[in-house]
Amino acid sequence: MLRFLKGFGLFSAVVLGAAAVPVQAAGDLLVAPTRVVLDGSRGTEVVLNNIGSEPATYRISLEIKRMTALGGLDEIDEGDANDAEKAALNMISFSPRRVTLPPNQPQVIRVGVRVPEGTAPGEYRAHMLFRAVPDAAPAADPAKPATSGGVSIALTPIYGITIPVIVRVGDLGAEASIGEARVVDTVDGPAFAFDLTRTGNRSVYGDIEVTRPGVAEPLLLARGIAVYPEVGQRQVQLRVPAELAAKLKGPVRIRYTEDREVGGGAIDEADRVVK
Amino acid sequence: MRNIALKRALMGAAIAALAMNASAANAASATGTAKAKILRQITLTNTSDLQYATVISGATASTVAVSTAGAATCGAGLTCTGTTTAANFNIAGTSGAVVLVGGDSSVTLNGSLGGTMTSSLTYSATNVTLSATGGSFQVGGTLSVGANQTAGDYSGTFNVTANYQ
Repeated sequence: MLRFLKGFGLFSAVVLGAAAVPVQAAGDLLVAPTRVVLDGSRGTEVVLNNIGSEPATYRISLEIKRMTALGGLDEIDEGDANDAEKAALNMISFSPRRVTLPPNQPQVIRVGVRVPEGTAPGEYRAHMLFRAVPDAAPAADPAKPATSGGVSIALTPIYGITIPVIVRVGDLGAEASIGEARVVDTVDGPAFAFDLTRTGNRSVYGDIEVTRPGVAEPLLLARGIAVYPEVGQRQVQLRVPAELAAKLKGPVRIRYTEDREVGGGAIDEADRVVK
Repeated sequence: MRNIALKRALMGAAIAALAMNASAANAASATGTAKAKILRQITLTNTSDLQYATVISGATASTVAVSTAGAATCGAGLTCTGTTTAANFNIAGTSGAVVLVGGDSSVTLNGSLGGTMTSSLTYSATNVTLSATGGSFQVGGTLSVGANQTAGDYSGTFNVTANYQ
């Protein structure tokens, strides 16, 4: 019993240690969930939490992003939005749009959807951006003495998180298939790359698992890979350590499965020889 | 004495934990139901800023570069002092999740005594696959300093986003 208590005491100490978080900049944030799919009749809630050590004001907005052939998301100005993108902005409502939160204070953002009658079947999407409004950047740092003849520089990042908000109208379907796989060298180091081809009138979304035949432990796992309707094909490029890049070469099985939250069924699987 | 009190408190906690276990074990026969929805989350924290430190301009235009690892390259004709750092952002979320990194490719800085400078921005990665402990990315840049650049404190803001697809 005494030993048990000692163990307990040690555990408590660890917890206390973990609670003493390092000083963080104002504006750090948590967002949950990380993806919203609405059927057009019901809204949902998204939680925003200030995980910084100081109070912060956050702004919530909707952005238009388009997927690129390389799997990136390009930001699109509202003026350049096409009809479907504008329709998405009009369908999705949310509140509040601005909130000041003390540290560790969560706030629920209500997301509503209203599909106008006569809207063509399809998938309508916007990306909800959560980001802190920065304090006015100090023109002069009082901690530093003025440097004569020199320039001092203060760059303030305005950083945030975006999650997709997808509205599905009508009966939609899509399929995807896995193309050739290869190990490529990028400026940031080696990467495992393959193509995903999509057909149908909605996006596909799921997890990628790369296994070696006969080996239970997957070589590579990447969750949350989407192919959006604006692209028929995208490249998936996943950076891997050099050691893993060497291991990936040879015969592999690539599985693309639906999100576990919607059943985790297979979208496609393919045997490939990685060069 | 304090020690004993602490031990008692711990004992109390241990008993409470046991009691909770007991009630959990009995939950199957109880009529009440407890519901909890666990949502997937993402967190983004900024742990260091992009710092060019102090630059003393020369008679010709030049550049100061800070790599995504934080190393500085001071261009010809310039004097650079102080410690430079790259901006660092930590991301945490579902293990294995792929997060896309987006942001401005350049930023304009305005001086407190007039004058402007521009800095290009470079990102250490376009996407980050989160491990069980999360992931991170860094932002470096190259600052263009004019010939006899007006002295002063220059400030600017740039946008960075972590995007779920």
